[in-house]
Amino acid sequence: MGHHGTQEHKEEAPVTYAEVDSTVAKMMEPPTLGWYILLATCLLCVGVGAASWTRQILVGIGESGKSHPISWGAYITNFVFWVGIAHSGTLISAVLYLFRAKFRNSIYRLAEAMTVFAVLTAGLFPLIHLGRPWFFYWLMPYPNQMALWPNFRSPLLWDVFAVSTYLTVSATFFIVGLIPDVAIMRDRAKTTFRKVLYTVTALGWSGSHTQWKHYTSAYLLFAAFATPLVVSVHSVVSWDFAVSIVPGWHATIFPPYFVAGAIFSGVAMVMTLAIPIRAVYKLERLITLQHFDAMSKLIMLTSGVVSYAYITEFYTAWYSNNPFERAQFWFRPFGDYWIAFWIMAFCNCMAPLALWYKPLRTNIAFLFVLSIFINIGMWFERFNIIVQSLSHDFIPAVWGYYNFSWVDVGITIGAFGWFGMWMTLFIKFFPAVAIMEIKEILPPPMRNEHAHGH
Amino acid sequence: MTSIRGNKVVVGVFSFMDDAMNAVKAAKAQGLDYRVYSPVPNHDLEALTYPEKSPVRFFTATGAVAGLTFGFALAILCSLDYPLRVSAKDIISVPGFVVIGYECTILFGAIATLLAMFHFCKVPDIFRKIGYDPRFSQDKFGVVVGCGAAQTDEVSEKLKQCGADEVEVRNGL
Repeated sequence: MGHHGTQEHKEEAPVTYAEVDSTVAKMMEPPTLGWYILLATCLLCVGVGAASWTRQILVGIGESGKSHPISWGAYITNFVFWVGIAHSGTLISAVLYLFRAKFRNSIYRLAEAMTVFAVLTAGLFPLIHLGRPWFFYWLMPYPNQMALWPNFRSPLLWDVFAVSTYLTVSATFFIVGLIPDVAIMRDRAKTTFRKVLYTVTALGWSGSHTQWKHYTSAYLLFAAFATPLVVSVHSVVSWDFAVSIVPGWHATIFPPYFVAGAIFSGVAMVMTLAIPIRAVYKLERLITLQHFDAMSKLIMLTSGVVSYAYITEFYTAWYSNNPFERAQFWFRPFGDYWIAFWIMAFCNCMAPLALWYKPLRTNIAFLFVLSIFINIGMWFERFNIIVQSLSHDFIPAVWGYYNFSWVDVGITIGAFGWFGMWMTLFIKFFPAVAIMEIKEILPPPMRNEHAHGH
Repeated sequence: MTSIRGNKVVVGVFSFMDDAMNAVKAAKAQGLDYRVYSPVPNHDLEALTYPEKSPVRFFTATGAVAGLTFGFALAILCSLDYPLRVSAKDIISVPGFVVIGYECTILFGAIATLLAMFHFCKVPDIFRKIGYDPRFSQDKFGVVVGCGAAQTDEVSEKLKQCGADEVEVRNGL
């Protein structure tokens, strides 16, 4: 940070516990007009999504763009996109916790909230994708009249277990992390509504020495469980494709490719959210340029892995001498959906290369624009994998083209609104920056400084 | 929240962690029961007040093993109950079932950890917090010492000597 000169002085970490409390508490002060406008916009988008889904339920699944041979279209693209977004939350909160990477402390709450709300969004899509969503419970293994059980050899069932476990564990991790911070808010609350809200949600947390002992022990164990989950969930999602024989899907590289892509898109989404929140709530002293530099490096790494995976896909298609694979990978950059391919290549492989120029890693405006490019690029990556592969498989006679319907677009907009709505409500009612964990990395107040063992 | 031994408690409010630690050492030396409230967990404080390992991990391990067993048992028993051969795969396809076992291990292990944490932290319990002060979640440290009514003056004096900003005597539980 040394080269930032005066900015460095402006962005020094807060010195006292009280300053951290008051900075975060300011975020939760009564909402402004801007917050209401943001919430109203999100609710409007949710309304568009709800209306679109209602139309699909009333008229039929034909209202979406899905049509033979493309039976997985915008909805599964959205599903994979949102599960991917969910990944970096757990990466930042659990994996970086185990590695004791202290830069995580300022951004992990935001990343975890993003994870939980993104999984809530992703979870809607398999239901929306079903023609008859009211039969969703058929996915669950429950005793029924026909003595019929789901097929445990199917990756689609693995997905049910993986995503529901991920939602449960990431929500647990998130809520447990919130408890001490909510207790701080309970002790500062001035209105009756907030007092009651935080008294109930803090569960009676007092920060006694026995509570901290069991809490820190449990938190470490949650991190230890959440870490293999990060790896497993998107691996399982990738097997939805890779276990099939469809050209473009049938690849052993998919699990690491998907996990890296998920972290890539998730870190980008953290930036997309953190940059405006930091600016609006003046969190420059808590979320510093150093944090953005660290996140930029994660983006550089994962962009490199993803780019390598794209190249490997092309190479294996060529080297396999399999005509179907070769045709698929010729079709991607030069076929009907060439625009989607090149958007993906530009946003995911080329644009992040700019981060090799160090000053851009701390240029907030540039990072915000780049993060949006990456979000778009990663949505198109999933579109390319899903729709392009299905529209151009073995038999030319059944090749097809995916036409987006208004219902597809409406539901996609609704998903962004749904996610935004939860984030907007969260930052106003709960601490979006982890107070306790930031205090933890500050030196504790000591009368005799030499007595401090660290 | 468990009670503290003694029908009175003396609450000391400290601005500095080392002062609070000295107060704990004094309470321990006199064989008195105590509780420390702090805004954050701290290794030095933990080593002084609760050096043993937390038993939460045993519950985690039990939950994880139960989850692994449940996941495999569910997949195997369901497959045997409705045997349907798909793509020439075995009825009991262990590689596929590993995913179910793996996810259930994590799910059950995490839920067991959560329940164990709640149990040992004695939450939810929104009412009984002996000697608690809202400042203890912000930037102050609290040392609450349990004693008999006759000892309150002596204990109060000791806490002040250790550097307490404020000392207050309350009824114990």
